[in-house]
Amino acid sequence: MKTKKIIFNKLIEITILFFIILTVLFFLFRAAPGDPVSRMVDPTLTPEDIQLLIAQMGLDEPAWKQYIIYIKNFFSGNLGHSFHYGEPVSNIILDRMPCTILLFTTSTLLAAFAGVFLGKIAAWKKGSAIDNVLSIGALLCHTLFIPWFALLVLWAFAYKLGWFPLGGIISPELWINDTSFFIKMLDVLHHMFLPLLTLFFIHLGSYLLLMRSSMLGVLKEEYIITARAKGLSDKVIRNKHAARNAALPVITSVGLSLAFSINGGALTEQIFTWPGIGRELIFAVSNNDYPLAQACFLLITAVVLIANLIVDLLYAYMDPRISY
Amino acid sequence: MSFKKNLDRLFKSNLKRVLFTGLLILILGMVLSCQKKEEEALLKIGLPEEPKSFNVWLASDSNSRKILSQIYQPLYTRDPKTLKIIPWLAQKDPVFNKEELSYTIKLRPAKWSDGTDFTSDDVVFTRKLFLDFQIPGYASKWKVIKKLDVIDEHTLIFYLKEPSAIFLSRVLTTPIVSKKEWEQIAANAKKTEKPLRTLQNHVIEKPLGTGPFMLAEYKKGAYVYMKKNPYFFGTGKKIGDYILGPYVDSILFKIYGTSDVAILALKKGDIDMFWWEIQPGYIKDLEAQPDIEVFLNEKNALYFLGFNLRKPPFDDKMLRQAIATLINKEFILTRILQNYGSPMHSIIPSGNTFWYNPDVRRYDVGQKDEDRFKTAHEMLKKAGYTWDKEPVISDNGIVEGQGIRLPDGKPMDNFVILTPPADYDPKRAFAGMMIQEWLRKIGMPAFARPMSFNSLLDRVKGKHDFDAFILGYGKLNLDPDYLRTFFDSKNDKPRGWNMSGYNNPDFDKIAKKQLSIIDEEERKKLIWEMQEILMEDIPYIPLYNPHILEAVSKKRFEGWVEEVDGIGNIWSLCMVKKNNGYSNNMDKGK
Repeated sequence: MKTKKIIFNKLIEITILFFIILTVLFFLFRAAPGDPVSRMVDPTLTPEDIQLLIAQMGLDEPAWKQYIIYIKNFFSGNLGHSFHYGEPVSNIILDRMPCTILLFTTSTLLAAFAGVFLGKIAAWKKGSAIDNVLSIGALLCHTLFIPWFALLVLWAFAYKLGWFPLGGIISPELWINDTSFFIKMLDVLHHMFLPLLTLFFIHLGSYLLLMRSSMLGVLKEEYIITARAKGLSDKVIRNKHAARNAALPVITSVGLSLAFSINGGALTEQIFTWPGIGRELIFAVSNNDYPLAQACFLLITAVVLIANLIVDLLYAYMDPRISY
Repeated sequence: MSFKKNLDRLFKSNLKRVLFTGLLILILGMVLSCQKKEEEALLKIGLPEEPKSFNVWLASDSNSRKILSQIYQPLYTRDPKTLKIIPWLAQKDPVFNKEELSYTIKLRPAKWSDGTDFTSDDVVFTRKLFLDFQIPGYASKWKVIKKLDVIDEHTLIFYLKEPSAIFLSRVLTTPIVSKKEWEQIAANAKKTEKPLRTLQNHVIEKPLGTGPFMLAEYKKGAYVYMKKNPYFFGTGKKIGDYILGPYVDSILFKIYGTSDVAILALKKGDIDMFWWEIQPGYIKDLEAQPDIEVFLNEKNALYFLGFNLRKPPFDDKMLRQAIATLINKEFILTRILQNYGSPMHSIIPSGNTFWYNPDVRRYDVGQKDEDRFKTAHEMLKKAGYTWDKEPVISDNGIVEGQGIRLPDGKPMDNFVILTPPADYDPKRAFAGMMIQEWLRKIGMPAFARPMSFNSLLDRVKGKHDFDAFILGYGKLNLDPDYLRTFFDSKNDKPRGWNMSGYNNPDFDKIAKKQLSIIDEEERKKLIWEMQEILMEDIPYIPLYNPHILEAVSKKRFEGWVEEVDGIGNIWSLCMVKKNNGYSNNMDKGK
């Protein structure tokens, strides 16, 4: 009963927070210099033309009026039309989201599993050669400069060795023919490999280090000593008693980074020409496409808020000591 | 038991074999299906970004326009070699009637890509669409037409309100759309609260055009696939100096998020051309590649330093002239542009040979640094400028001046030269810094400040809140009427094109007059006079005109058509053909 009430309160909190962020975003974009037509440096456009375009986009109204219209539309499920695509923003986002989720969720989960597994070993064998190699490797991964690493990966595996395609999500040459679904699926996986590899290494470092330090803390706990005194095997102590508890902070971190992965590593998407939300976000912001930019940010806001809630609840479930 | 084990083993080994064979078939299938397309002449072009819309009234990004320019065609176009206006969808030059102020135009027998006829009705409909919806960029041009009469299916008479020098070059070069495609959409849009927006937001999946290619498939975020239009009116005909194809069956536009990756794709042979400007830094590497050809062409562009003439100190012509003398254009060209460009001495680029006036006043030519500083120093002194500590200019160098004062005795306030940021355009950002240094040497408190492009335009064009700025037009029209657009005092208003606030009644008069002169030689005299006035008053100091660098792969295709602004044009796509000899050699090499 109590938990339900807590969840309900949290939900209300989240809703209020969401609308505060929505409002801030709305006015922030309009306060930024320029407008969607200011970049159209086409001398054939007369000032009257520009005025007409602005009026057609509804930007000639005072900001508060635009805000009321936006809120009204928002509640009827209308996020507006993109100024540049001319399409409903929701279509564009629904179109891009699967690509981002596919790539970033997979890479985050893979990196988390690998990070937990390797971090566990590193902590267990603290001070050994394995620990040194893993820790230094993790530090290296953690500090990688993404554009440089991504370009290097492309240059080596796609250009020099030719094993993988140079970015994109599919090979158009295959898709313009009537190719079977199975081959198309393989084609997507083939394209996904390099960005996945890049993101995997970039995320791996932080998970590994997090797991290692958390595990080291847990190993000093008294219940581990008790477990040893009971004569349990190393494997059982490591995997069942220590690692489970040590993985808690990693789960929080994964939860949040899964949420943030919605915005897609914009840089990674740009270099691998991955048609996800991140690229759209860059385009929308730099071209003052307010409806599109707002929708992208709102999506991220919503997912992060919800993920926060889920992580909180998950914590309580996994660690009985925590209760709300 | 042993029987079961054997069965298991058999099954497992068979499973492996089946899986292995399956995989082989898959790979073979992938390779074969790729090769099948290779046999057709499939031209692959890399784009730097995805086209945003195929609605011709909305698309303002260059990549959408590249695709749409293969589909929607104008009545007249420019010959890539002579740059003269030649008939395109029209059959021949228009017949001009001076008394009636009318142009009779005969259309070619052409078809839309769905096989229906292209007729006079489509032209009439296009005009109606422009005017009904006040379509930006088009309506203002077509307003000059008083009446449009249809004589028959392929003949039209345009009656003008007043003589117009740009009727042929600017009005008749706009794309014509199909009545069949747009009639219903327009009717529906008209009923809405915001008709233009509704028209622009209408999603066009298969644009209907008369051009050499038609859209076959568009996969969002991945590619655009165009096929040869079987009804293209130009196929097999000689237009300009070219017997038009297209000689390729289809074009595949692929998208690359960064130039680095696109250039790797070009080198690897994944694409045959990258339709985007290449920065000079890549050129050495590309030129060393045996399969890559680099094209270097003049642009019809203008990069300039502009002043705010509405307030001191730049309301003083003498100060602007002195600054023009101080700027070393040769330095900017050789050091910043690495010689990939030409210097500019007038607002019209020298490549636009017919309209360019080579005899305008020049400020910096052929002078050593010290001499330029001496001349500028004297010019300023003569105009009444004083210094707390005068600059000392000798052959041994320059000792910076300090505390420059305006002719009225007031100290010159710090002023800012706004430039786009270096990540947007390093050339303009560095040119701004160099200019700041030259001006400081003579004692002017100049500060170059890179600023985001949006903010820069907002300050300069929207609010007129600036001192000086460096901007550029990457692609000017070949018709010089933009002189009027940029400097007519009527356009000195927020968001207007007269960003400097230049106001010269004599100039305005000539600018208006040239617009109504149809005789080109006569008009040329006025255009030359306008350039003389501008270079004397110097609201803008023209700085440079960069070259456009582009690269293609020679492996599979040849025959690119070069013109001002490069090889990315409809002529190239109509003329490029498979390079069989080269491709065979390549295969043998493998």
